[in-house]
Amino acid sequence: MALGSICGLQTMTKLNSSLRENCNLLNSQDSAFVNEAIYGSENFVTPRDIDILSNQKNLTDKDSNVKIHFDHGTTTLAFKFKHGVIVAVDSRATAGPYIASQTVKKVIEINPYLLGTMAGGAADCSFWERHLAKECRLHELRNKERISVAAASKLLANTVYNYKGMGLSMGTMIVGWDKKGPGLYYVDSDGERMKNNMFSVGSGSTYAYGVLDSGYKWNLSVEEAYDLGKRAIYHATHRDAYSGGVVNLYHMKESGWIKVSQTDVKELHYQYQEEKSRRR
Amino acid sequence: MASTVAVELPHGGFSFDNCKRNALLEDKGFKAPKAYKTGTTIAGIIFKDGVVLGADTRATEDTVVADKNCEKIHYISSNIYCCGAGTAADTEMTTQMIASKLELHRLETSRKPRVCTANRLLKQMLYRYHGYISAALVLGGVDSTGPHLYSVWPHGSTDKLPYVTMGSGSLAAMAVFEDRFKPEMEREEAMKLVQDAIRAGIFNDLGSGSNVDLCIITKDKTDYLRTYQEANLKGVRQGTYRYKRGTSAVLKTEVKKIVLEVIDTQVKPQAMDTD
Amino acid sequence: MSILDYNGAAIMAMKGKDCVAIAADRRFGVQAQTVSMDFDKIFEMGPHLYIGLPGLATDVQTVSQRLNFRLKMYELRENRKIKPKTFMSMVSNLLYERRFGPYFVEPVIAGLDPKTFQPFIASMDLIGCPMITDDFVVSGTCSEQMYGMCESLWEPNLEPEDLFETISQALMNAFDRDAVSGWGAVVYIIEKDKVTKRLLKTRMD
Repeated sequence: MALGSICGLQTMTKLNSSLRENCNLLNSQDSAFVNEAIYGSENFVTPRDIDILSNQKNLTDKDSNVKIHFDHGTTTLAFKFKHGVIVAVDSRATAGPYIASQTVKKVIEINPYLLGTMAGGAADCSFWERHLAKECRLHELRNKERISVAAASKLLANTVYNYKGMGLSMGTMIVGWDKKGPGLYYVDSDGERMKNNMFSVGSGSTYAYGVLDSGYKWNLSVEEAYDLGKRAIYHATHRDAYSGGVVNLYHMKESGWIKVSQTDVKELHYQYQEEKSRRR
Repeated sequence: MASTVAVELPHGGFSFDNCKRNALLEDKGFKAPKAYKTGTTIAGIIFKDGVVLGADTRATEDTVVADKNCEKIHYISSNIYCCGAGTAADTEMTTQMIASKLELHRLETSRKPRVCTANRLLKQMLYRYHGYISAALVLGGVDSTGPHLYSVWPHGSTDKLPYVTMGSGSLAAMAVFEDRFKPEMEREEAMKLVQDAIRAGIFNDLGSGSNVDLCIITKDKTDYLRTYQEANLKGVRQGTYRYKRGTSAVLKTEVKKIVLEVIDTQVKPQAMDTD
Repeated sequence: MSILDYNGAAIMAMKGKDCVAIAADRRFGVQAQTVSMDFDKIFEMGPHLYIGLPGLATDVQTVSQRLNFRLKMYELRENRKIKPKTFMSMVSNLLYERRFGPYFVEPVIAGLDPKTFQPFIASMDLIGCPMITDDFVVSGTCSEQMYGMCESLWEPNLEPEDLFETISQALMNAFDRDAVSGWGAVVYIIEKDKVTKRLLKTRMD
């Protein structure tokens, strides 16, 4: 409430309702300035006389003359096991066949107990997960306790659902630890939200699933789980042209997440290659 | 289609074997790649004793400069040359084809080929292909009837003019000609004019660039001046990026020795030892 | 997407001092999926003559076989080794015959003259427009990257060992910025008395 009154807003109810109303900033008369300050970043100002959807098509269509290709290729995975949740991702960003970066951080550190992964539009993922981070903090301030993973993922799913069909592109996993223990949800820009023990998202996900399915057990030791995560990402980067770079590995524990390692897949390739030849 | 048993014999003309397949691929959304183009400035003028042909030397592949110093003035016969603009392969192959036809004609008639013959052969070939062979040419030469200069368009129409330009830089080059051309110019003056016209193309048209090539054909002499002017000098590299030997990691090395073939054996005659 | 990007490839050739080099990546992929990592794109056409064929894999193999056939017919008829420049005309003619229904390959040729051992490199577009240069030629899905690397790394009169480092680094650093080529590389250094083939250790992603 304190935040609301400082900003000249009487109640939280008003805060919430104005959130819904000020889609068109020109209509809010009394506190346009305040609204602008608070919500300016989270409501897209729509230009007049332009159809957003067809305009969006111009940017994303293959045959379009506008040469903007959004990043799409990725491999990300997360799985629950006895000792928490493992999150592993690659680090490649591509624009068409061009490799724009090999050092992208595809795990978004929402807060010490929540992680989000990034697949699809890089900007969409990082923006909406940053927005989620803010919402989660507000939840903590209002309710004096951490948000549950279920609630956090639902918050994100509901937000993107409001923009359904408008060209958002994200496939993300929300990973955390709450009162119920480890949490793992899949949320995408279609508005889908699912709960499971194992997910993999992105163009290399099929390869990652192949490795995960053959090595996954609930009773994996921590070291075994780390290795499985790394291997799954490595094999995906090996076969999928649009995944590569380094493997970023995170472990979600009761005490919050830790970043386990960052390994170049070139090193992994020749290491695994050597293991293979030793076994023969 | 070549059968699996019969040997593929060389036959003249185009092959359309892949057309259907390529059309299917295009339907699936796979765009056909672009061929080299000579987004070009080519020009020619008639002066007192003959003709001067000029060309820039840039070849492009979409937006990339594929060749910084290509040859656009093609040989037709010793007294006839031809500048080419458009799809590089088309100008290259078309001029080669006409050159060979004209050479056969020369051998058959025992006469120096005439420019109008080359022009007729070119326009008939291009007309036959309805403009699908995209070659825009500037044809010039000197024969028994004097100097001649033609421009040949991809659809097969031709113009016979005292000064012509072609290619994407043709407007820039023509502006120079319109300003300064006059009949019966001296050789040096004509060369300077063509050089300036090509330079106008090089510096004002993005499809043209690099150097100026000239070809001066007179009654009894042809001077092909390759890189007549290096209009764009490359800067001298100050440092070196040479990698130390052993930088690149090698997994496997195979060395194949080549035993040199004996091409020629000479035996030196030596006097027999008769002592 | 261009049909040349369907399988992915990166090939370049460079001139050195009394030697030439030709190098290629080893990936065979179907769009995003990498199918194999030991695919040949450089073909031996004579003791001193090599051709690299980047492009649509089916055409790479068809063109290499057709060239092999024409080359053998030539050498039987003429009873001598072909000169690199003559071979270039042969490739050019093969491709230009299909001007209106082309093979999707953009060849790179490297070799030494069978008599004078003069270095020779050339490249071509898919309808056979030849381009002979004095420094380097590149072709494939990351040609922009390769042009950039070659323009800065190449220098005249490199000895075979230095030429190897130059072409290897130019190729590897170029295809590391391309998603659809890479996965191993092969480099041929062609000298008067020997040809050295090296497989490089590269990134495999």
